[in-house]
Amino acid sequence: MYRLFVLIALVACSGGSPTPTGTPCADPDPLTGTTTLTWDNFGHDFMFKYCTNCHSSELPNSKRNGAPIYHDFDTLLGVLEVPDHIDEQTGWGPKAENNFMPGGGTNGRCPSTAGGSLDENCPEPTGDQRTKLSQWIACERLRSHDFVDAGVDASN
Amino acid sequence: MNMVGRIVVVTVGLIASAAHADHHGMAMMGAADEPTAFDASVNLVAASYSTLTYVGDYEGVLPAVGWRRDRYGVGASLGLYRIMLNGLDQHGVGDLMVHADAMLYMHEHVSAGVMMMVSAPTGEEIFGLGMGHTMVMPSLYGTWSAGRVTVNAGAGFTRAVARIEVGHDHGVWPLVEPMNMSEVSWGAGCDLALGGGMHGAVRAAGGIPVGLMGHERVIGAARVGWGSGRVDTAVELQTGLVGDPFTIRGLVETALHF
Repeated sequence: MYRLFVLIALVACSGGSPTPTGTPCADPDPLTGTTTLTWDNFGHDFMFKYCTNCHSSELPNSKRNGAPIYHDFDTLLGVLEVPDHIDEQTGWGPKAENNFMPGGGTNGRCPSTAGGSLDENCPEPTGDQRTKLSQWIACERLRSHDFVDAGVDASN
Repeated sequence: MNMVGRIVVVTVGLIASAAHADHHGMAMMGAADEPTAFDASVNLVAASYSTLTYVGDYEGVLPAVGWRRDRYGVGASLGLYRIMLNGLDQHGVGDLMVHADAMLYMHEHVSAGVMMMVSAPTGEEIFGLGMGHTMVMPSLYGTWSAGRVTVNAGAGFTRAVARIEVGHDHGVWPLVEPMNMSEVSWGAGCDLALGGGMHGAVRAAGGIPVGLMGHERVIGAARVGWGSGRVDTAVELQTGLVGDPFTIRGLVETALHF
């Protein structure tokens, strides 16, 4: 019995897990700076290159290759629904370098088309892109948004 | 099997469910009229589910072993699952579960005891196979028996051994054995001996989140079991009544007592 509890303790303490990167947004948010990261100049392209073949509001449940429902990154609104999850699974920062997604849940395989089969090796964001992802999310979540006025369909 | 023995079998088999609210019992333990008993069992489970974030189904094979001496027993179980979640087909083990129980009071018609169940995070959390944390589940249980009827009830506290952010809603997880990170788990049931080694039972079990965000959960189940010699077999049909632990789940258990 003693050995069994030792085994349990070892298992409980081992292995990586999604970890908040602890990335802060510069204060004040450098929204008007030349290096400002926004949905338009960074987030959109990142999501559509690495994420939306599974994490899309346009995909039926059976075509998501395991992506959770309501984790849709084809809109800024969708990203801001679960910013912590994105940071903990994909972001790099001072406290963690998370490489789980894309591909971590599918043995490194991804669909080459939206909702397709896992037919190719997943494109890998660079470390710099992962760092920028966490920086962008840290700031974007603090910014004020008016999705109705911006013409985004909040029902997606 | 005498009355006390039947109480032990029904109690330990069903109260394990209360300790781990929707769990289907670690094993059907040996009869109390044998001072020492070793048991090996295999459970087959199949379910469909539809939660807030995942839709799919799973099947599992759960071998379990148990050992009992007089009033004390220990057991362990580890499931192997195939799960379909939002179109992704995965295979893997679930969380390793171990338990120890002690029957503190045992009379001809009444018994009561304590159980400690612990799960180790051997299952992949991301695929809904594991909780991602060690879970500790102490519980109390009691039974009352008269004639062909045995009534049992139990309640316990389930808690993850982890630092948990108060505002983070983990929801019920894993998909194959849903529970909250912190909850009061409960279970109650009634077993009726039908004669010829057969018995039927109905039970309910659930969880009430405590201290942290979570989701209430209640399941109902009906079971038919039969025993012959050293082999006990049972078939149980479960359905989710409150929350979304699963839509429907079927279970077949076979235990061999040495």
